[in-house]
Amino acid sequence: MRFQFSLIAIGLEVTMIILFGVFVEYETDQITGTQSLSTHMNGSLDLYPLFQDIHVMIFAGFGFVMTFLKKYGFSSVGINLLIAALGLQWGTLVQGYLYSNGKKTRVGIRNMINADFSAATVLISFGAVLGKTSPVQMLIMTIIEIAVFAGNEYAVGARLLASDVGASMTIHAFGAYFGLAVAGVLYRPTLRKRHPNEESVYHSDIFAMIGTLFLWIFWPSFNSAIADPGVNQHRAMVNTYFSLAACVVSVFAFSSLLEPGNRLNMVHIQNATLAGGVAVGACADMVVHPYFSMLIGSIAGIVSVLGFKYLTPLFTTKLRIHDTCGVHNLHGLPGVIGGLASILAIAVGETDRHSMGRQAAALFTSIATAIGGGLITGLILRIPVWGPPADEDCYDDSVYWKVPQRTEHDYHFQEYGSHSHQEIEI
Amino acid sequence: MLVEPLHRDGHRMGSKYQQSLWGCLPLWALLLEVALILIFLLFTSYDTSSKDQKDLLGTFRVIQDVILMAALGLGFLNTSLRRHCWSSVAFNLFLLALGVQFTVLLDGFLKQLSLKKIVINLSSVQMATMSATSVLISAGTVLGKVNLVQLVLMMLIELTAFSTTRIVGKKLLNMDNHISMMYIHVFAAYFGLTASYCLPKPPKEMKQETQMATSPSLFAMLGTLFLWIFWPSFNSSLLDLLSERKKAVFNTYYALAVSAVTAILVSALVHSRGKINMIHIHNAVLAGGVAVGPACYLIPSPWLAMLLGLIAGLISILEAKYLSVCFQMLNIHDTYGVHYTFGLPGLLGGIIYVVLMAHQVMWTDISMVRYQVLTNLGALSFSVIMGMVFGLLTGFILSFKIWKPPYVANYFNGRPFWTSPYLAAGY
Repeated sequence: MRFQFSLIAIGLEVTMIILFGVFVEYETDQITGTQSLSTHMNGSLDLYPLFQDIHVMIFAGFGFVMTFLKKYGFSSVGINLLIAALGLQWGTLVQGYLYSNGKKTRVGIRNMINADFSAATVLISFGAVLGKTSPVQMLIMTIIEIAVFAGNEYAVGARLLASDVGASMTIHAFGAYFGLAVAGVLYRPTLRKRHPNEESVYHSDIFAMIGTLFLWIFWPSFNSAIADPGVNQHRAMVNTYFSLAACVVSVFAFSSLLEPGNRLNMVHIQNATLAGGVAVGACADMVVHPYFSMLIGSIAGIVSVLGFKYLTPLFTTKLRIHDTCGVHNLHGLPGVIGGLASILAIAVGETDRHSMGRQAAALFTSIATAIGGGLITGLILRIPVWGPPADEDCYDDSVYWKVPQRTEHDYHFQEYGSHSHQEIEI
Repeated sequence: MLVEPLHRDGHRMGSKYQQSLWGCLPLWALLLEVALILIFLLFTSYDTSSKDQKDLLGTFRVIQDVILMAALGLGFLNTSLRRHCWSSVAFNLFLLALGVQFTVLLDGFLKQLSLKKIVINLSSVQMATMSATSVLISAGTVLGKVNLVQLVLMMLIELTAFSTTRIVGKKLLNMDNHISMMYIHVFAAYFGLTASYCLPKPPKEMKQETQMATSPSLFAMLGTLFLWIFWPSFNSSLLDLLSERKKAVFNTYYALAVSAVTAILVSALVHSRGKINMIHIHNAVLAGGVAVGPACYLIPSPWLAMLLGLIAGLISILEAKYLSVCFQMLNIHDTYGVHYTFGLPGLLGGIIYVVLMAHQVMWTDISMVRYQVLTNLGALSFSVIMGMVFGLLTGFILSFKIWKPPYVANYFNGRPFWTSPYLAAGY
């Protein structure tokens, strides 16, 4: 199956172009007079900066966060780009189809933001199976997961009328549990002991930190992009900002508390510092006080660190789910916390009690759909024709990429490093 | 032979390094965070007035740019030491997150001088983020010689001092928002330098640890580039009039461009065989942005800004090359060269501002010139003196043994702070 990947990718892209030709057109307005037209155009471009921020998060943020493995940097950034690019096209189509009631989809900035969101869902799931799948499997997962995601998002947003402005439940919890279900079905017993490639080196961790910082900086845009303009959007930005800040402080404290010798753990700093943004998503635009969002952020950060420390090893050994990036701790648990926090926020607010049930139903639906969809996707991906890497080739770029040979520079660098090392040990 | 057991078991190296090097951190950080949440609970509320969507998104853009500069730019700017990359980036994020929460409260209380509720809106967040930048700048002088507990302590003192400086300057010395923020560079640089003066010095033979390797220096370039790209937003964000903002953006842009060109040229020029020094590039590229800061809205034409960028780049590199000997004689150790990135260009910018203000007043009212010059000079020196005084105080407090500072032999080595199996092996 030498040409399998190329043929499937080309086939998918041709299908996308045809579907776009049939179903998609530009957003146009039935407005007469040049004055109102120009003001309206300005209005629709208002969201463009927020869209750009989210775009950076999807392509640079998620891509670089996953580069922590020592031999898997190409795939982390590269396959991330492939998934996101395919995913946003397919997401535009599927979401457009659901929301347009069978008419043609009209594409505007808001659709582009939502399409990026749907790509984010797949990238979260990608984190759970990172290093254990082939590019073809990822293409298939992208197509299935976005269809399921769009269905769930439509059910939660348009049918249940639940409020989830930063998509704690529909994106983060959904993506994480979908990925975990797939990873559970694709479990490889031989990888139970730590694979020699499944570790980081000093510089790969710094690269991952670039991704973390991009995500951290732009998270307020992610949570406020689709909020109602004005006061709500303002609240979403400020809430997310303070939640993230509080989260960082708690994560440092707890990481240092749990590690021997009060040291910090880079894995915690890279991932758990973002949990605050995930958890505050569902209630970001609600009338909550600044302290409430800080509290949510701190709790999410602490839970996330505890998850990395105790839950992930448990998942690998007892539940037979191997979660490479720890998406359950970064997106799954904080997403659930976000859902619960939104219920609490409504309970203490003056809004009607009816919506508490809606939020709970949204949380439940998202997780159930994700696990169901993930199990089915996992079974499809298990069909042995998709060319997954052999057990000993996991977490290695050289299976699917042309990797440069070691150069003189590398040797020099390594020699230099070990040389200085010995001197210090003595 | 020694390497093998260490390699397998990361925390064994604890026996070689100090045990519980900074044991009080979790307690400290948690207490601070709980206190902050409680104060936020009691004393803050959101701004509920309805606002224009356009203004809101405009302010939000500026905030994003400033945060990007602080978290990514300044974080990665300080990664040129081979064994201190993780610590530089992560401590930077920690200080920023804590500093912003602290400054929002501090600014609010100092502004109203009473315990009424503080209204939080996007511009107070923006001010807080920009003030917190001062800690990130001063940290450049002491990073590698202190642990995180000491940095947190420094942050608390420095932010208090800086907010006080700004409020006093605004009340007594006629400084506006823009100018009081633009003196952040000189304030932070001299704060850091005097604090560093009080700390134990690294021994002379510690060449090995301070040397750069290729890829950390590349990471530092990443930080430099982010700062370079977004600097116009930083300089223009606190101006009120649209025309002033526009001028500020243009002037900063041109000054930065020229200082980047100058940096590369002069770096090659001062080397005996015409080679470029990466450390010079990291810092001198930014000197133009620092120097043009205070006066950026007053400079009438681009050529002046470009000239300023040229001079700033020039003095920055010349200082890096020749004046660092002076610093060694003064017994001040400046880890990441904060003085020639922020200190001297900042002073130059302050003086240019004084001159341009005097020039502007001269056309309208000649008798006001002396008053104008005196107050402006006073404001500049007030910032510098506050920085130095509180820097000395901080350095004095930080040099106590109760904070369990790293051993001098472990300076510029992030290893004691992190757990990871491979950190024990060569990297």
